[in-house]
Amino acid sequence: MDENRVEMLVEELEAGSKHEEKLWRKLLPGVVSGATGNDLREMIREPLFGLLHELGETALGAKLKLVIERTPTFPTAELLPLILELCGELRHDSEQAVRELERMLSELATPIVRIWAEVLLVPLIGSLDSDRAQGMAEKLLERVSTTRAKVVVVDVTGVPTIDTAAGGFLIETFSAVKLLGAEVILTGLKPEIAHTLVKLGIDFRMVVIARDLEDALRQAIAMIEEDRSRQRKIVWTRGSNFPGEGGEHDGI
Amino acid sequence: MDGKLRELLDISENDFDVVVRITREEDIAIARQMAKQLAQELGFSLADVTKVATAVSELARNIYRYAQTGKIMIRKRLEESGGPAIQVVAADRGPGIDNVDRVLARGYTTHERSLGIGLPGVRRLMDFCEIASKVGTGTVVRVEKRRRKF
Repeated sequence: MDENRVEMLVEELEAGSKHEEKLWRKLLPGVVSGATGNDLREMIREPLFGLLHELGETALGAKLKLVIERTPTFPTAELLPLILELCGELRHDSEQAVRELERMLSELATPIVRIWAEVLLVPLIGSLDSDRAQGMAEKLLERVSTTRAKVVVVDVTGVPTIDTAAGGFLIETFSAVKLLGAEVILTGLKPEIAHTLVKLGIDFRMVVIARDLEDALRQAIAMIEEDRSRQRKIVWTRGSNFPGEGGEHDGI
Repeated sequence: MDGKLRELLDISENDFDVVVRITREEDIAIARQMAKQLAQELGFSLADVTKVATAVSELARNIYRYAQTGKIMIRKRLEESGGPAIQVVAADRGPGIDNVDRVLARGYTTHERSLGIGLPGVRRLMDFCEIASKVGTGTVVRVEKRRRKF
């Protein structure tokens, strides 16, 4: 294969970028060399994959058509299975990427923020169905248990509708959080959603409701203070019963 | 009842403004979105838009959960005497319901992760609710909500 012809072809292909030009220069000598079987595959696999990635199937197809017209010895039949194989690989890669993004999205969409000592904030965003909601519940329970949080503030401002499935999911999650010994404060219910919940018969009376985030935080701090003073009282009572152990310490 | 179900199952899609086929979980959100948009176009109040969207969400989830596939059809009805209304028909050729009265009672469910308040909830959210179903043939739920005057 003479270099001139490859050069002419490359020029005719009007590569959009230097990178594309380089790939064609690598690919063309291979396909017009007359090589077959594994030798051919070996030579063209990498640049072909690069071009597929760079141009996409449609544009590459159009350009290959031009090459085939100019090259009578073009090994079309040999190239076909290889191209299909590469397309499959490319699709697999992009599916992998989509899955990765979905996973990232579900993590990003349900942040759990520590807003005060022993207080976690969960701002829920988007619709509450499917695995995403399930993942969120698991993550929250895990965090409540590891951080020993006493209050979880759940903000549903970013949830567009709550149907029985979403409501059921919330009730389940709230019950599980309470079983771990933490309190739940629900906030961000919009008036139209409140109305719908009543009609559906979904009852959130099991948790504390706050008007807004400010109210939620105030109630959360009050709950923690109450909890602390109760614990102090327990220590104090014990101390008076067992003067030898804690009485002196508490007296200071 | 049987004739009614046949009639409802064969209802023409052409008469509706929107037809959403339910085959994946994401389709529930699409049906909900469509219902919301049509109710907004009819000038429903925000509370009623949310009620319609929630009812459609409920019906679409029932299709996905029990029949796997089916369709949600929605139309605006401007010619009604009581003012403009929205009509939703949820149709599937799934397993069907053997006792319609029982599913309309609170707390009845055959699904492990359900509150059993879906269909009675839908009935309370809307102005009109009619269910036709036969085991082995399918289920059609037709609901309607009128625009309220303030």
